[in-house]
Amino acid sequence: MTTAPERPGALPEGQMHTQIMSLNVGPQHPSTHGVLRLVVDMDGEYVVKVTPHMGYLHTGFEKTFENRTYQQGVTYAPRTDYLHSFGHELAYVLSVEKLLQADVPERATTVRVILHELGRIHSHLVFVGTGLLDLGALTPFFYAFREKEALQDLFEAVCGYRMNQGYFRVGGLYRDIPDGWPARVEKFLDQMERGVTEYSTLFAQNPIFLDRAKGVGVIPPEVAINLGLTGPNLRASGVPLDHRKDNPYCGYESYDFNVITSTDGDSLARFNMRLLEFGESIKIVRQALKRLRPGPVKDPNRKISLPPRHELETSMEAVIHHFKLVTEGFHPPTGEVYVPVESARGEVGYYIVSDGGSMPYRVKIRAPSFVNLQALEYACVGAQFADLITILATIDPVLGDVDR
Amino acid sequence: MDPLKPADAKPMGREGVAQSSTSAAPVVPSPGPVTPAAPSRDVTGLIAELGLTEDHAAEPTALVTPGDLLRAAQALKDHGFMLMDTVGIDYSTYTEARPKRFAVLHNIYHPRDHRRVFLRVWLDDGEVLPSLYPVWRAANYLEREVYDLMGVTFTGHPDLRKVLTPDDLEGHPLRKDFPLGETPTLFREGRHLDPAAFRAGLTGRDAGLTGYRGELRRGRGEDRLPPVMPEGGPK
Repeated sequence: MTTAPERPGALPEGQMHTQIMSLNVGPQHPSTHGVLRLVVDMDGEYVVKVTPHMGYLHTGFEKTFENRTYQQGVTYAPRTDYLHSFGHELAYVLSVEKLLQADVPERATTVRVILHELGRIHSHLVFVGTGLLDLGALTPFFYAFREKEALQDLFEAVCGYRMNQGYFRVGGLYRDIPDGWPARVEKFLDQMERGVTEYSTLFAQNPIFLDRAKGVGVIPPEVAINLGLTGPNLRASGVPLDHRKDNPYCGYESYDFNVITSTDGDSLARFNMRLLEFGESIKIVRQALKRLRPGPVKDPNRKISLPPRHELETSMEAVIHHFKLVTEGFHPPTGEVYVPVESARGEVGYYIVSDGGSMPYRVKIRAPSFVNLQALEYACVGAQFADLITILATIDPVLGDVDR
Repeated sequence: MDPLKPADAKPMGREGVAQSSTSAAPVVPSPGPVTPAAPSRDVTGLIAELGLTEDHAAEPTALVTPGDLLRAAQALKDHGFMLMDTVGIDYSTYTEARPKRFAVLHNIYHPRDHRRVFLRVWLDDGEVLPSLYPVWRAANYLEREVYDLMGVTFTGHPDLRKVLTPDDLEGHPLRKDFPLGETPTLFREGRHLDPAAFRAGLTGRDAGLTGYRGELRRGRGEDRLPPVMPEGGPK
């Protein structure tokens, strides 16, 4: 038996020298949740460095916003984060409303809260389904998408679209919710509650899953803050940052719910975080449904909202307002505003610069996935390749949100 | 000290299993009494303490000179603030006069007492900014994005590359003088989008680049001509 010759940097006996190998993952890869390319430098089975390459979905939303009227911008906002569209829509309309000092009716705000939370459930359902699918568990996908289908039917009933809704308008909503919709939501919430119990018993305690998620990709709180993480990823590291509590919008201060945190900061904590957030969202929607009172759903200011159809037949003034709003749109005063909103992925905010024209001068989207993705480079170092998939799945980026 | 390597850092990954705590279940805080009134969100005092001038805007904003940026950022970090976002704005076609062409705003937030402050730096084309990467690692992608889309260079950034646009796209799309399909959009090695062909596609005169036969949407002068139906009806 020959011994390996001594050389600088030799490993202790029993370990092999391996070359650093660069492995290309994606852009078309089922576990990258879209089109994300990762170049992974590996030493044997261990990850040395991860370099994400994004931009495959970059469509220049921010530039598009500058060339569309404020009201048309509602079409683009939901297309960034297509899993929690209502989060981006809400952030956009709240910012423009702050510029305009618009007066949003009570009913519109309550419906917004309901849809914002249902959107969060929708996003977390996809997280639970596809996240576990990435780990090789096929069944949860079908369980989660059963509820997701029911939820998309609710979205379709309210605005005609199953995804990319564009239902909110500056100053209120596109139209009132259909008759009987609150009862359908109630029914869905009951189904969802049973679903959450099922997920918890079916796979949250699964030993194979626990093995792959526990202690994998730990992000300590000070690192999470340094990396700019927000949302469930930050709360899993023990920082209770939630804009619904900290900077309440849409009357969230009057709802009773908890901010869920964990101290572990690992993949399992990030996963369980979402499972528990289902319950809090259900609680908020239940309270909001109780508060629904009949009333208008648009700002009565005719300089902001379109007049109702029947007025166009009798009132010249309504026709003029309609014409001006459709051809030109409204002109908010000059200024720069930012309203943070807690989406399923973290802080979403639209920094809007107005120069007094009918189109925004500049719109900057604070996309949580883009910033959260930086944690991947940190958390994967030293992990095995299979852990990289776990970590990417639990960080839960949406590539539309990353690339915009 | 390396901000990503806290003093008590332990190895990550499989070997790190032992360091994770035993209970995996996240904690649900009991719905106790509502927390007492939050401390003031006002940052006027903080801005004065850092020796900065306040910019009177709708959002709490402090004006910083490029030379002062790192010091102000470090001081804010020591207060416990985190970097949320970096916004680049090109004011070259803005209706009101602005001190310089570009502004870079750092959106800084305190995760525990919920104060938010924007640091605004004015700069002209060609001027550079110090990178905040040594202070907050979050600046990595955020500054790359501003560099890519707005063309502001950050010194001290370890990896200042394009992040969103294709590697061979020249120019910075979010600048106000970036052509919107009206002049050739140049890519490297002679590839370019020909505006005439592109417009022709939009007006429906011929199939154009994309084959899209939509209606004329915007433009000036002769572009205002309505779409022309080809001989013998639509193909």
